[in-house]
Amino acid sequence: MSTGNRRTENDPLAGDSSYLWNGSGEPDPEIQQLEALLGRFQHDPRTPVFPEIVPQGRWKFFPARMRLLPIVVATAAGVAAIVFATLLLFHSSPAPVAVAGWNVSRVSGTPRIGPNVVSGKETSRLGVGQVLETDHQSRASLRAEDVGQIDVEASTRLRLLTMETGLKRVALDRGTIHTYIWAAPGQFVVDTPSAMTVDLGCAYTLHVDDSGAGLVRTSLGWVGFKLNGRESFIPAGAACATRPKVGPGTPYFEDVSSKFRAALERFDFEESGQQKRAEDLAMILGESRKRDALTLWHLLARVEPSQRALVYDRLSELVPAPAGVTKEGILRLDRPMLDRWWNELGFDNISVWRHWERSWEGSTPVPER
Amino acid sequence: MGSGPDNRVEVLAASLRRGFVAEPSRAELSEDALLVAAARDGDRVAFGCLYDRYARMVHGVLLAKVPTSEVEDLVQDVFMMALRRLSTVRDTSRFGAWLAAIARNRANDYHRRWGPEDRRPADEILEDAASNVSRGDDDRATEILDAVKSLPDSYRETLILRLVEGMTGPEIAARTGMTHGSVRVNLHRGMQQLRARLRSNRDSDDPERETP
Repeated sequence: MSTGNRRTENDPLAGDSSYLWNGSGEPDPEIQQLEALLGRFQHDPRTPVFPEIVPQGRWKFFPARMRLLPIVVATAAGVAAIVFATLLLFHSSPAPVAVAGWNVSRVSGTPRIGPNVVSGKETSRLGVGQVLETDHQSRASLRAEDVGQIDVEASTRLRLLTMETGLKRVALDRGTIHTYIWAAPGQFVVDTPSAMTVDLGCAYTLHVDDSGAGLVRTSLGWVGFKLNGRESFIPAGAACATRPKVGPGTPYFEDVSSKFRAALERFDFEESGQQKRAEDLAMILGESRKRDALTLWHLLARVEPSQRALVYDRLSELVPAPAGVTKEGILRLDRPMLDRWWNELGFDNISVWRHWERSWEGSTPVPER
Repeated sequence: MGSGPDNRVEVLAASLRRGFVAEPSRAELSEDALLVAAARDGDRVAFGCLYDRYARMVHGVLLAKVPTSEVEDLVQDVFMMALRRLSTVRDTSRFGAWLAAIARNRANDYHRRWGPEDRRPADEILEDAASNVSRGDDDRATEILDAVKSLPDSYRETLILRLVEGMTGPEIAARTGMTHGSVRVNLHRGMQQLRARLRSNRDSDDPERETP
């Protein structure tokens, strides 16, 4: 099938017709045919009638004569809570109490919350301070209405650290989770032994092996990885490894060449001599395509100062530095300039991350228990 | 319906009725924030406007993952869930991304509820499509839709929004919260893979045909 489209060497996306992108330009007959055939599955545009919306904090669904009921119920609940809290204070056992938490349902096998097996019949609750573990045959799914969903694979250990307004934090000690998060960016954080993973509006898979090494693969949106000032941003389609005591490696798109990936892994995590590092860097720069600007942007801050100009030159060939961003500024790692260049790469705006970072200055992963 | 925000909502509703918005602007995104705020205050017209604006996106996201016959019902489910959780939207300018996540999650729930035996592996879908002997437009359309649905998640969702729902690339980005770059990549690669699969289907339909 001929599309009549062009490709350019540096921009594989330039091959897309503008018709596919925004319906403008010369129509592509093949796409028009697909539109004509598939249009029959389009959404039926009739707007349904929605039920009355009850604004937060109001009780419209109570008739006027019953409006005192919620107040009475709330008062009774408050008194009960005080009595309960008092009893707890004088109780000898310090066991964690599941108040805020995630609903847990069994997918297969016998997942456990502490010593208790999660049955298939009813939903259990993972409270703050509790641990969810799956063995090699078990899987579970966690859900919190205003946060998202975590699917827990076999052989995984997950702890719930906090469930506060504006911050939901879990620790993945080992195993694999798939997350789908609808909370606002920056509010869902996963600690691993080698980095902290910050959701920036996305779906991703996170794996931690028994040595504490991790790998995040993003399928939608983007994720931030951070440890001791070293940070990586991983957009959809990209992956990033972490290692204990080193932190996040350099992110890369998963369709990079095998040479590129191997050189990057050595560059990030192996203690090779200067000569070998220079060879690996040359390989990465030589194999990079336009979308690998993701990797090169991260490398600017990770290479030796003497090698930074090489990375600058290659990156500016792939994505020209925007106005106001100078080579001299990039060589001294001027953060506003780095951020402005990042925003030119076509991923999400870095201000989301900077905003989150300001509220988390100095935070580190929680050690394994 | 609430009385406070009526005027601004009517203005927004009128602007929506003016027609298809090819490339949502910053102003439109801030309209979203106004609509969400008004809906939170109990304004059903505002929520209806959000529905008009986002229903195609939700429909496309669901169609990418669940059987066609189930999609319209699930669209209603997603908007009902959104309505119930409206007070939890913290960044109202990212309403679309939030709604898309609910839709994806609802689709995942559908599969969990009905079990893996109800899912059809990509190979099986392609085999069915290839062995489809009828060549009416409906069959052809179903065959193509099945081929799209056999693509990787991100490609099929973006392609369905473009080819089925008739949204432009910039509109897909604005509605789903994805970047322009991601949408371009998904459209470009998705089309490449779709072309390859349709070609392969045609070749298996017609074994006599010479392959170039």
